Amino acid sequence: MDLHASKVREAVIPTASMADIAFLLIIFFMLTMTFEVDKTRVTLPETVVRMEVPKKAAYISVNEAGQIKVSSGEELSVPVASSEDVLSFAAGVVATNPDKDFVIKADEEVPYRTVDGIIDALKRANVKVIYLLSRAKGQEEGGSS
Amino acid sequence: MKLSRDTKVSDEIPTSSMADIAFLLIIYFMITTTFAATQGLDFQLPKNDQDTPQIEKEESVLIEIKPSGQLIVDQQPMQLDEILDYLKPKLERNPLKPVIIRPDPNAPYGDMVNVFDELRQAEDKIGFPIKNISIPTQREIEAFWF
Repeated sequence: MDLHASKVREAVIPTASMADIAFLLIIFFMLTMTFEVDKTRVTLPETVVRMEVPKKAAYISVNEAGQIKVSSGEELSVPVASSEDVLSFAAGVVATNPDKDFVIKADEEVPYRTVDGIIDALKRANVKVIYLLSRAKGQEEGGSS
Repeated sequence: MKLSRDTKVSDEIPTSSMADIAFLLIIYFMITTTFAATQGLDFQLPKNDQDTPQIEKEESVLIEIKPSGQLIVDQQPMQLDEILDYLKPKLERNPLKPVIIRPDPNAPYGDMVNVFDELRQAEDKIGFPIKNISIPTQREIEAFWF
């Protein structure tokens, strides 16, 4: 009796669904990615109490050298010379949106004088709520951005 | 003469490189993704200078932060973890007693945040929140205080 295989099986790995999986991952990354308006590298102070910062909040960052940058939350941050410039910037933002929240992203080692000037400018611009950006207590530094 | 075609044109769309392209995009997103800090301490600012209540020194608890990081609470040196125990009996008598944080201009910003964070933990540590925390600016101190 002549028994022989009628057809030869090809050794093929099915990769058709690979693209579907990959595109799902891409969609996930695209949906979860938030546009970062301020990329200043600072070492944030550590806190236990932490509230979620509203999206689209205006940012004021101060790096270790005391350089101040501002962003209305819509575009990338730009450097300003002093806290007086922060006042004119904040007044402009508040004039457009009186309920705008402001975030202070300052290095923990920066002298309080600089932050005091910024808080004072925000108070004078009639800002209602500010957030002092922080990292969770016990979390490694890693150069918060 | 019979001329036969020895090559067949496949009617499939070649998708084998699709996964390569997709994974390249994934790698791009993974490398460019940064984990931004999106949490912090919230701080309600007074509406305007006219509404800012005058606070007398005697009515309030004053926490001074020295450039060295030393804390002086009502003229007494104190450790950070001792502040809430000191405040508890005072706030039990008067829950609206103002607690004023006054950092030295040369003190590190992080020290002010540490004190503010400690006061914000009052509800967990001493059972009730501190309702009246104030951080006057240098201009306000010079203009309105004392």
